[in-house]
Amino acid sequence: MQYDVEIDGRTRQVLVVRTDTGLTVTVDGRAWQVDAARVDAHTLSLLIAEPAAEGDEGSAREASHEVTIAPDLASSQLAVRVGTLPILVSVNGSRRWGRRHDGSVGGSGPQRLTAPMPGKVVRVLVKPGDAVRLRQPLVVVEAMKMENEIRAGRDGTVGEVHAREGASVEAGTLLVVIQ
Amino acid sequence: MKKILIANRGEIAVRIVRACREMGLRAVAVYSECDRAALHVRYADEAYAIGPSAPRESYLRIDRLIDAARRAGADAIHPGYGFLAENEDFAAACRDAGLTFIGPTPEAIALMGSKTAARAAAVRAGVPVVPGTEAPLAPDVADEAIARVADGVGYPLLVKAVAGGGGKGMRTVTDPADLLGAVRAARSEAGTAFGDPSVFLERRLTRPRHIEVQLLGDHHGVVVPFVERECSIQRRHQKVVEETPSLAVDSALRARITSAAAAVARSVGYTNAGTIEFLLDEDGRFYFLEMNTRLQVEHPVTEMVTGLDLVAWQIRIARDEGLDVDPARMLAPNGHALECRIYAEDPDNNFLPSPGRILQLRAPGGPGIRDDSGATAGLEVPIFYDPMISKLIAWAEDRPRAIARMRRALDEYVVAGIRTTVPFFTWLFEQREFLDGRFHTTYLDEILAARNGRPFVEPTAGDETIAAIAAAVQSVVSPSSAPPPAGIESSPRRWKMQARLEGLR
Repeated sequence: MQYDVEIDGRTRQVLVVRTDTGLTVTVDGRAWQVDAARVDAHTLSLLIAEPAAEGDEGSAREASHEVTIAPDLASSQLAVRVGTLPILVSVNGSRRWGRRHDGSVGGSGPQRLTAPMPGKVVRVLVKPGDAVRLRQPLVVVEAMKMENEIRAGRDGTVGEVHAREGASVEAGTLLVVIQ
Repeated sequence: MKKILIANRGEIAVRIVRACREMGLRAVAVYSECDRAALHVRYADEAYAIGPSAPRESYLRIDRLIDAARRAGADAIHPGYGFLAENEDFAAACRDAGLTFIGPTPEAIALMGSKTAARAAAVRAGVPVVPGTEAPLAPDVADEAIARVADGVGYPLLVKAVAGGGGKGMRTVTDPADLLGAVRAARSEAGTAFGDPSVFLERRLTRPRHIEVQLLGDHHGVVVPFVERECSIQRRHQKVVEETPSLAVDSALRARITSAAAAVARSVGYTNAGTIEFLLDEDGRFYFLEMNTRLQVEHPVTEMVTGLDLVAWQIRIARDEGLDVDPARMLAPNGHALECRIYAEDPDNNFLPSPGRILQLRAPGGPGIRDDSGATAGLEVPIFYDPMISKLIAWAEDRPRAIARMRRALDEYVVAGIRTTVPFFTWLFEQREFLDGRFHTTYLDEILAARNGRPFVEPTAGDETIAAIAAAVQSVVSPSSAPPPAGIESSPRRWKMQARLEGLR
């Protein structure tokens, strides 16, 4: 099975082949011997080894990694936790994995920024046509007794602004679209 | 006392249920609509609905809490922290209903709840306060008079609300030209947040530490202070990491600051658990800041180094028991303890709240680790309340070992479905200033501002490869592909047979 796995803007070609002893996973041409055990719906235990070269007698070191995989609603990608760190991953352009509740698609298309929680829009900081940079604040929503900045998830241009100052918003209300 | 109603939710409600169980008392939970399946409800002996999810309609409804206590036949109420814990009307309503309020008297709550009255009490007890105005600014005071008072206090200064806390109704003024605007803004914010627009002026120390002293007072005149807590690691005036003892406090200073705390408490006849907060200036001088008339979020670190159960003692004091602990031992910490407040927030997105369903959760354990949590897998983190999901506490024989243990525990903490502040703590515990104990109350805000939103922990190329492998193989690893234990086929018959064999051993 061949997958396109995108992390932090870079796509890796990942090939998964079943073998007698487990899985051989090739990432960008480099092969790894993987033993994967599923613990529960969100947890995998992986033992990852570089396969021994041909004719090599010794067996490779097996590194143990516990990984949790869960949908990330804010980005419509998968949050794959390695160590303490959630890494955002899109598989095959998110078409299969990153589906949002509202059916829209994240990844490389327009980025739809929604309110992560119910609250009140206190400031709108951009207008259509504005160029925005990664992490630039776009809208300020007051919720949980705090003012929360909704920031751009990537560089781009503001396409649509749906947020209105003073308006109440529900979780998932579309605020801004970045092209 | 046989049955206690817990007028709270989340981790602190769970903490109090645990104390009740250990003491052979029945625990009664209350819950709002969204908390029906919360852990504190599941752990309690009885549970009663008290209204919709908004706090104003449930956890802040004195009438409904008293009704629930009557219905359950409870004889006491523990308020926890937050919500109604420092509300003198609630304490009085409990007393009027014949219920024991597990906390100080309504009179003590009212007196120490006013920052200006509490400052006056500290001065009467001979304890220094930060230079400032003795009384709130009168609402009709002329602008020139405010400016004269401010000159007397000195710049930089703080305009502070008399009521409330949490950084609301508070403004820093460095330039006298900004004074009147700051007073107006603080008054309006305090009026909205606390229903009381009164403000006063206080000198702003430039790089103070926040040092606080936990104490207990019984109904027989005994007041015992505990070894200090260091709470200078704050984000926007909210504590993030607490520890005890403080690296900035030696035994001579500890003796002085804890005696000062006890003197203030004795002077107002304080009973039950309370905490006196001080600012410790760079020159070693300390100043009374305010008193919290309740159990603190960070009480576990004190429990870890003294071996005392503070919640159990709150209940025992409320039952009129004498406080028969050795005061000298309470000032001689055994080892070192730290606490991290783990929030459902995305540290890499400006600490934006991250409510949602927790899909997977495994708390760390092992030597010296304590996890006080109200969260479980399957629960939603509600949007209505403080988004703290857990307090992770680490104890060890000294500070470096306690930090090493905390880092190990943070690595073990698994939470999927929501973002948490765990990666932020992983980063904080690598900062030289933190490790050396060189920090003050604005240290964290300063370094966060300097980072300008850079991610706290950046994945290595190796981490990204592992994530790519995991994302790709997860579809081919079905639940049934987990290998059965060696030599056993996973048919039900074989499992039963194996179980029988095990039973014969």
